[in-house]
Amino acid sequence: MDFIRRLLGLPPNSKTPGTAEEEVDVMHGADAAGVGGPVEPVIEVPEDTSPQSIASFEKPTSNSGPMTDKPNGAASETKVAAAESDVEMTAGTRPLPPLETIIPQPGERITFGQLSVVGMVRGNNQDSVLSILSSGTSIDDLPDFGLFVVADGMGGHQEGERASAITTRIVAKHVMSEIHTALLTQSMNDPDRPPIANILSAAVQEANDAVTESIPEGGTTVTTAVILGDLAYIAHVGDSRAYLITEERIEQVTRDHSLVQRLIELDQLTPEEAVEHPQRNVLYRAIGQSESLDVDAITRRLPPRSYLLLCSDGLWNMVSEETIMDIVMKYRDPQTACNELVKLANERGGPDNITVTLVQMPG
Amino acid sequence: MVDTQKFPGNVPEQPSSDTLQPGSVLQKRYRITGVIGVGGMGSVYQARDLRFPNVTRYVAVKEMLNLSTDQSMREMTLKNFERESDMLASLSHPSVPEIYDYFPSKTRAYLVMEYINGRDLEAILNASGDALTVETIVQWAIDLCDVLGYLHRHEPEIIFRDVKPSNIMIDQHEQIRLVDFGIAKVFQEGQKGTMIGTEGYSAPEQYRGEATPASDVYGVGATLHHILTQRDPRLEPPFTFADRPIREANPNVSPELEAIIMKALEFNPADRYANAAEMKEALQSLMSRPSLGGVMSAFAGITEAQSSGNEWAVAEGITPVWMFSCEDEIRSSPTVHENLLYIGAHDNNLYAINIADGSFKWKYATDHPVVSTPAIVPDENLVVFGSVDHQLYALDARTGRLAWVVPTKGPVRSSPTVAHGHVFFGSDDGLLYAVRVSGGHKQWTWDGGDPIRSRPLIHGEMIIIGQESGYVVAVDLSGKVMWRFKTKRAVSSSPAEYEGLVIFGSMDWQVYALDIERGWKVWEYRTNKGIISSPAISDDKVFIGSVDGSFYALDASNGRERWQFQTEGQITSSPVCAGSNVYFGGIDGKVYSLDAKTGQLRWSYETGGPVPSSPVVHNDVVYIGSMDKRVYAFKA
Repeated sequence: MDFIRRLLGLPPNSKTPGTAEEEVDVMHGADAAGVGGPVEPVIEVPEDTSPQSIASFEKPTSNSGPMTDKPNGAASETKVAAAESDVEMTAGTRPLPPLETIIPQPGERITFGQLSVVGMVRGNNQDSVLSILSSGTSIDDLPDFGLFVVADGMGGHQEGERASAITTRIVAKHVMSEIHTALLTQSMNDPDRPPIANILSAAVQEANDAVTESIPEGGTTVTTAVILGDLAYIAHVGDSRAYLITEERIEQVTRDHSLVQRLIELDQLTPEEAVEHPQRNVLYRAIGQSESLDVDAITRRLPPRSYLLLCSDGLWNMVSEETIMDIVMKYRDPQTACNELVKLANERGGPDNITVTLVQMPG
Repeated sequence: MVDTQKFPGNVPEQPSSDTLQPGSVLQKRYRITGVIGVGGMGSVYQARDLRFPNVTRYVAVKEMLNLSTDQSMREMTLKNFERESDMLASLSHPSVPEIYDYFPSKTRAYLVMEYINGRDLEAILNASGDALTVETIVQWAIDLCDVLGYLHRHEPEIIFRDVKPSNIMIDQHEQIRLVDFGIAKVFQEGQKGTMIGTEGYSAPEQYRGEATPASDVYGVGATLHHILTQRDPRLEPPFTFADRPIREANPNVSPELEAIIMKALEFNPADRYANAAEMKEALQSLMSRPSLGGVMSAFAGITEAQSSGNEWAVAEGITPVWMFSCEDEIRSSPTVHENLLYIGAHDNNLYAINIADGSFKWKYATDHPVVSTPAIVPDENLVVFGSVDHQLYALDARTGRLAWVVPTKGPVRSSPTVAHGHVFFGSDDGLLYAVRVSGGHKQWTWDGGDPIRSRPLIHGEMIIIGQESGYVVAVDLSGKVMWRFKTKRAVSSSPAEYEGLVIFGSMDWQVYALDIERGWKVWEYRTNKGIISSPAISDDKVFIGSVDGSFYALDASNGRERWQFQTEGQITSSPVCAGSNVYFGGIDGKVYSLDAKTGQLRWSYETGGPVPSSPVVHNDVVYIGSMDKRVYAFKA
C-alpha cells in the first residue's frame, strides 16, 4: 500500500518499504546494529492497522501487483505485534524488549535439509548430493543464493557413484565461479554476461564432458537448482526430479527423460501402466551417454514459504506425490521432512538409493 | 540405480566362451569360417558347406544357445526356435533368405540358411550415407515394403517387429534382403506378447507389447527417416521424428515423399498405412509420376511458399465481418471496451466504433496523429491515449467528451498503462508520467533522459519501461532506479511479465528475459533483425515478431525456440493470444492467425496496406487496423 500512499503524498507506513523481509529486519534491527545499542524503531501511528483506511486505498487497485497484494502471514503478524506494542510506545521511544530469536528462523531466509542413503537393498550408494547456501544482510542487498544438486549414478565397478560425484562437483564449481562470484563482484547486471539459464546448461554440459571422458561406462542423472532471490533456475537431465510444493499443491517441475515418460506423453501408456512397465528405468538422456547433450532449462518463481524438493527416483518410485506433500506440510522443517521422506521410502522396501534435498523459501 | 539401464547403444556384446571356433565342423558338413554376429541367445556364423567340395559355397549358421537348467524352459526355447525355422522355411520371397537345414543338439540348436554376401544398411549408412541418392533409397523402401507386405499377407499374418537398418541387407545384386527373423513371430490377434524391439525404430504400441502390420510400417518410416536425415533415432528422444523435419536436413526430398514417411511415423497406428503394401503403393505412385512431385524436390528452397500456398487455399474463405474506413493510415492498435472499439489514426482522430456492426460512434480530433494504443479506466469510464501533439487525452468512453488532458514536452507515442488508480505513460520528452485517473492531476514524473515509447509495465512498486536509448529501467516511485539493463539499440517493445521474469525485444535483434526484481539476464534469443513488436505470453510461450519477417514462439522459461513462421515482410505488430491461437499483422499486408502450439497457419487475410497495428480479440472476434486506412473485424 505504500505505493499508493506515496503517490498520494502520504507518509509511508514505516521506515522501510513494505516487503515482508525488510519488515522482519526492522524487528531484528537490534541484531544488525550490533553494540551501538538497540535501534529504536520509530514506528509511526500505523494507519494501516485501521481496516477502513486500507480498504479505502485498496478499492481502486484491484489489479495491483503481487508485491502490494495482501501482506503475507508473517508480515502481518509482525505488523500486529508492532501495533500492539505501539500502544505503549507512543509515550516515548522505549527500546524493544531484548530479542531472543536472533538466529535466522525458517521463514526469514532460505533453509534446506538433505539426506542421501543407500536404501535397504543395494550395497552401495550411487547417488550424490551437494548443496551450497549463501545468505547475508548488508547495504548491498544481495539476494539469497542457493545451489542444490542431486545426481543418480549408474554403471558398475563404482562408475555410477563416481559419475554422480564428478557431476555434482563440476556443476557446483561452474555455478560458483560463473554466478556466485559475479554476485560477490556485483557484475550480474553486466549486459554482456551469458544469461543465467545458459550458465546452468553449460555447467551440466561441462559435467557431461568430464564423465564422458573419464568414466566411459558410467552415467548419471542430474537435477540442479540455483536460487537467486525468489527465482529458481533449474537444469535437468534424466529421471531425478524437482517438485514445487506450496500449501495448495505439489507440482513436478522437471520432465523425466525416460522411455515410459515419452510413452505417457504420447498417450501410449497410462501413468499406472508405467509403474509396472518392464522398461520403466530406461533413460533416453543422461550425463555420460554421448558428447552432445540436450539439457532442460527451467525458470520458476518460488512463492513465499514454498518448498523446492529435489530427489532421485529412489524417493519418487516409492512415495507418491500426495504423500510427499503431506509429509512436507506435516513436518515443515526441511531436515525433519527429508528424514521422514527417506524413512518412508525405506519402510516401503527401499529398493534403490534415496536422495532428497528440500529447500524452504522465506516468507 | 543398478537396475537403471543405459540406453542400448551400439556396444557389441562380449562373445561368450561358448562361441564356436573357426575350423569346427557341424554335422560333418558345415565348417565354421567366421562369426557374422553375436546376439544374446547365440551367434551367427559363416560356414562352408563341405558337401560341395569343389566350389566354395558359404552358408549362414544361426546358433541358439539353450542353457536353461529348467527342463520346461529349455523345451519352450527350443520350440520357439523350431517355430521360427518352420516359419522361415515356409516362406518364399526373393528378399527372404532361403532355409537349407535345421538340427538341434544337446544345449543348442542350429539353423542353416543362405549366406548373404553384402552389407547391412547401418554399415552402408555409416560408410557412405550421404552419397545415397533419394531414388536409390526410395527403391529400397519399395522393395522393403514388398517383402513386409508379403509377410503381412501370409497366413497366418507375420509381423516382422524389428525393422531397422541393421536388419536390412543389400546383397551383391543390389537386392534388399531381410535378416534376423528372431523376433518375427506368427501374429495372433489381441495377444499381448513379450515386449521386444529396438529403441528408436519401434512403434509406440510395441512398448505395450502390441504389434500389427502398422508397427512394421512405422519401422520402415523410422528407417527411411534415419537414412534421409542422417540422424540416428537411437540418439534422440523416442518418437521425435516429427521434430527433425526430413526436408530441413535433406532439401532433395520432395514434400510428397516427406508426407509419406511422416504418415508412416504417426503415433497412432490407425493414422499410418494399414500395412506395408499400402505404403508401397504410395511410394510407387510417387516414383511413377515425377511430374506431380516425384521423390526429389523440384526446386529446393521454396518450401515455405509451397506449403503456405496449400494452406492458403484452405484459408481463403476468411472474410471480414465488417470494415470501417478512417481518413488516413492506421498504425496504432485498437482497444475494446463495452461494445465499443477505440483506435487512433494518422488523421489525428481517435475513433469509437460499434463492435457489433462497425458503425461509427464518435471521433475526437487531436492536433497530430495518434499512434498510441488507448487504455481504458473502467471505474471512471474513460479512454486514455497519447497523441503526437504532445498530449495525453482522457475522454468519456461513451460520448468522446474530453475529461482531461495532460501536456508533455514531446510526442506521446507510448501507450498508457492504468494501475493503482493512475495512468502511467512515457513521452518523447524523456519523462515517465503518473497521473490520477480522476482529474488527470500529474502526481509524479521521472526523468529518464531519453524518449520513452514503450508501454510501462507495473510490477508491485516498480515501473519498468524501455527507452529509445536502449536501456530498460525499473524505477520505484521515489524515482530511485532499482535496476537498469542496457541493450544495444532502442527498446520500443513493451515489456511483459512471466513467472518473475520481464520479457521484451530490442532493436538490437534480441529478445531478452530478465529477473524482474534485479534486471539480471536470464535468457536471450537472437532474431535476424530488430524487434519493435511487443511480446505476448501464453501457455508458457513467448510470441513475438521481428523485422526479419519471422514470427517466433519461444519457451518463456528458457528462451528456446519452439517454432517460427515466415511472413513476406517485416513484423512490427504485437501478437495477441486467444484460445489456442495467436494473431498478428504483417507489413506484407496480411493479418495472420496461427495455431499457438504448432505455428501452423489457420488463416490469413490480405488487407490493402501494411499492418503494423496489433490486433485485439474480444468475444471470438479479431479487430485490427491497416495502413489501407481501414479497421477490420474477423471471426477469430
